[in-house]
Amino acid sequence: MFTKKQPWQKRDTGLTARMIISFAILTIIYIIFLSVLAYVGVSAIAIAVIAGIMILAQWYFSDKIVLWSTGAKVVSREQFPELHDLIERIVARNNLSKPRVAVINTRIPNAFATGKTPRSSIVAVTTGLMDQLDAEELEGVIAHELAHIKNRDVLVLTLASLFSMMAWYLMRFGMFGGMYGGGGGMYGGQGRRGNEGSGAMLLILLVAIITWIVSFLIIRAISRYREYVADRDGALITGKPSKLASALLKISGTMKRIPTRDLREVEGMNAFFIIPAISGDALTSLFSTHPPVAQRVKKLMEMEAAMS
Amino acid sequence: MFSLSSAYVTLEVKLGLKVTGRCALTFKTVSGTFFYQMEQDIRQFLGNLQPEFNLIWRTSTDSYGYMWIVFEGKRIEDLLAGLTTVGDIVEERGFSDQLLAAVFEFSSEREEGRRKLQYLIYNYKRNKFYPFVPTAEKAIDAEQQMKMMATIAEEIPFERDMTLWYPLWDLPLR
Repeated sequence: MFTKKQPWQKRDTGLTARMIISFAILTIIYIIFLSVLAYVGVSAIAIAVIAGIMILAQWYFSDKIVLWSTGAKVVSREQFPELHDLIERIVARNNLSKPRVAVINTRIPNAFATGKTPRSSIVAVTTGLMDQLDAEELEGVIAHELAHIKNRDVLVLTLASLFSMMAWYLMRFGMFGGMYGGGGGMYGGQGRRGNEGSGAMLLILLVAIITWIVSFLIIRAISRYREYVADRDGALITGKPSKLASALLKISGTMKRIPTRDLREVEGMNAFFIIPAISGDALTSLFSTHPPVAQRVKKLMEMEAAMS
Repeated sequence: MFSLSSAYVTLEVKLGLKVTGRCALTFKTVSGTFFYQMEQDIRQFLGNLQPEFNLIWRTSTDSYGYMWIVFEGKRIEDLLAGLTTVGDIVEERGFSDQLLAAVFEFSSEREEGRRKLQYLIYNYKRNKFYPFVPTAEKAIDAEQQMKMMATIAEEIPFERDMTLWYPLWDLPLR
């Protein structure tokens, strides 16, 4: 029994989805390309080298891909002086290097940081974020993104994904090996074939699949943990955890959930007798890259209480 | 509800919220002799409060047809005792469905002038507390309400579902 999600419960998945789709398409292109190489008989070592170069290239161009897939435009100080001022104030106070500033023209409030090194990093915010948040809340969100840059979270997650990517390639080649193995091809040696060969292949495939699933879950766990860390560090940068918390509540639409209708008006509507339905929260939280807003707000508010 | 007798200290220490000594209980009035009889019994109980509990009280009826019993006293134990006894009388007479809420008033000593009065509402239907911080006509301070939740949600039965934080506008506590 699942409750139907209300509009405010839906997360803004558009931005993340576009990034994921862009990178997924790239990955599929690589795999097709590498598979073709394997099929035409290029040696395994050469394929590994080519795959390595491709991963490096993707890494090198990652910020361009992110900007392109999200529609973020790098903006100058003349275009957005207040945004530049705000970021400069934070970096100057905390001895950070100033990232490039990008803006996405959409009403959906969101922000992200990307970049390989703190110097070449980009902080992007949507126009909707600037409209909806007050100055202190915006500062809180940008400090959170700057904390991601300072902690080199892009690097951490890319390295973590390498395992997952390698397992993926292994899995794909395992499958091809299984399919073409019978006809000689790239794996089966002339003398060692039959049951022994396919058994080993199956084992490799199995290990690769397990590695991939486990690394997928670990990456998500790391990502969630990094979010908490960035919340904490961002809050330390501004010294105002509650401002980031209220920004999170605004962005997620949680603020709108608090009703304004009087208790005496709704009393007769049996609103209080609804049995809470079993939710799929535990499962979604295992797969999501961000921790639930309520948890993040709770931690921030605890920080606020400890600081005051 | 008695869990508040210790949790209020946490509110004071962590958020600087002080009990003002005012609280209230509200239930929906209905016509009929049984209800009338109960009302008389409550008034009689309240009339005999003085020597034992250091409380003063008054009643009023709002535009929604709810009766309010407002207590003023110095000790939170007395306030809680007064509220729960009235609540018990209402429940004993079979009118527990009419019981709506109890309200506890706090004032912020840190922020002068701005949003001074803040409340904890106890919902009798859910047996849980939730915060209510009105700022202006039909407007609330959600951030402060979240702070209150973070501060005492572990100590008292707390309504974690924010969609049920229904306000009580124009409280007749003052």
